[in-house]
Amino acid sequence: MILPAVIYVTYLAFYPAIEAVYGSFQTIRGTYTVYNYQFVFGTFGRIEFPALHLSIPTPIYNTFVITLTALVLQFSLALIIASLLSKPFKGRAAFSALFLIPFGVATVVTGLIFHNMFSTYGGYANSFLRAIGLRPINWTGSYWTSTIVLILADAWKNTPIVTLILLAGMTSISPDIYSQSMVDGAGVFQRFFRITLPNLKGFIVIALMIRGISEFNIFAMALLVYPYQLLTTMTYALYDTVNAHPSYAAGSILLAFVLIFAVIIMTYRGRYRGV
Amino acid sequence: MVSEYNNPRTRYYIYAVAVFVSFFVLLPIYILVIISFAPSSQTIDIYYPYLIPTKLTLVNFINSFRGVGTLLEAAFFKSLETAFIVAALAILLGFHAAFGLNRLPLRVNSTLIGILFFSTMIPSITIAIPISVTFLKAGLYDTSVGLALAQELVVLPLTVFILMGTLDSIPKQLEQQSRVDGASFFQTLYLVIFPLAVPGIVSAFLLSWLMSWDEFTFAALISPVHPTLPFLIYLYASSRGGSILTGASFALLVTIPVIVLTIILSKFIKGGYLTSGITG
Repeated sequence: MILPAVIYVTYLAFYPAIEAVYGSFQTIRGTYTVYNYQFVFGTFGRIEFPALHLSIPTPIYNTFVITLTALVLQFSLALIIASLLSKPFKGRAAFSALFLIPFGVATVVTGLIFHNMFSTYGGYANSFLRAIGLRPINWTGSYWTSTIVLILADAWKNTPIVTLILLAGMTSISPDIYSQSMVDGAGVFQRFFRITLPNLKGFIVIALMIRGISEFNIFAMALLVYPYQLLTTMTYALYDTVNAHPSYAAGSILLAFVLIFAVIIMTYRGRYRGV
Repeated sequence: MVSEYNNPRTRYYIYAVAVFVSFFVLLPIYILVIISFAPSSQTIDIYYPYLIPTKLTLVNFINSFRGVGTLLEAAFFKSLETAFIVAALAILLGFHAAFGLNRLPLRVNSTLIGILFFSTMIPSITIAIPISVTFLKAGLYDTSVGLALAQELVVLPLTVFILMGTLDSIPKQLEQQSRVDGASFFQTLYLVIFPLAVPGIVSAFLLSWLMSWDEFTFAALISPVHPTLPFLIYLYASSRGGSILTGASFALLVTIPVIVLTIILSKFIKGGYLTSGITG
């Protein structure tokens, strides 16, 4: 009875994945080559770190920057909102329905709204800056402002899901532990770092897994608000019905990164299995 | 019990943060609404748009639907059809898989869960291209069924996890009881277990439906000629000029029902669902 589901994912997920990796080493005539990879890295330039004697292909660098900053932002926000929701206060039911709203807003719609908010002409962010007497910013004009817009849009859409997972973890911590520690004189920060965080570790790892992988795969949002190349948008940009092999190469690189990330998280999780 | 919740200062902080978060949650929705309903001379056609428009109008909406009514209608029905196929297939495959997984010995069970979980790690865009090539040959390219088959990959593992949690809470004695009373295995499965699992099945169905309604990557690569709503919105949003208004109107149309659904569902959407299959 499980077989249909397993055959399904094998046929439509694993088989195409292997096909993509295999195809990435082939030319259009079926001979073997590594040219696709050279082409992928040659097309979008490299970023140099002279101090480290390092040069990284730009899409890989961008993907890393976005994934890391987005995770840090989303987890910080989610921790704040989850600890808020774990406390009883009047209006909590209304607030917990309200903060979920972005979860239901389609990714494309979020992209569209943020694209508009931060556009140079007719953008609400600049309108607001001017209203409070600050200089408008050319959001789409530089690398870091574009990055900020993308991670803000992504955080708006995805913080609720992280919050839900962390909240599930927080409600599983017995309130007695908190009362006890308060009797013993632990302050707010001590309680957070000594009780909440250690007890949440298992849940944080799961949320990291779910969000981290989707963060590597950020696509629709990037197409709309991010003018630079990520591994996903690079794969899409190279997609060509006549010669799919370069895009197979780009896709395989992305796959490799996701798998490495997953292995790192899994190894880490193994140490906290007791949670 | 010692508690700080009754301390007025703590309470003040809680409300301050709640108001702050609510503001940022609602702000983008507000902007979508004013772009859709304010005259374009106050929104996208000036350098600094009005933060609070002075006039509201339906002109954007009317103009948006006049030119492209049939296109929108086609996209709407395609999205709807795909989402229903995805959700129904998710329940069909997921219910049986979850039932079986709960009955298997732990070792086999965790291997199979591992396979399902692993399949969600494979980036959509990596497999979307080989899949679209296969579908082209099979005649499934650009069809709702083909798109649904691909989107199912994203949805199925999650559905299995949710249903495993639901089925686990149904006492095994009921199943044994019904077998003792002479019901066949499948009668027990469909007439006893299935009705008891309805709450979990409903939330799994709606969650799969929502995920398909929102899905973009497969839609962009497998069904670009007759697009679904998200891809259609992308096509409008990415082209510069007046059609951003059309994009905004469509976006609002897509968003409102889903927000309503999310609020109704907020009781069922729990982090525990996502973690149950993994922590279990």
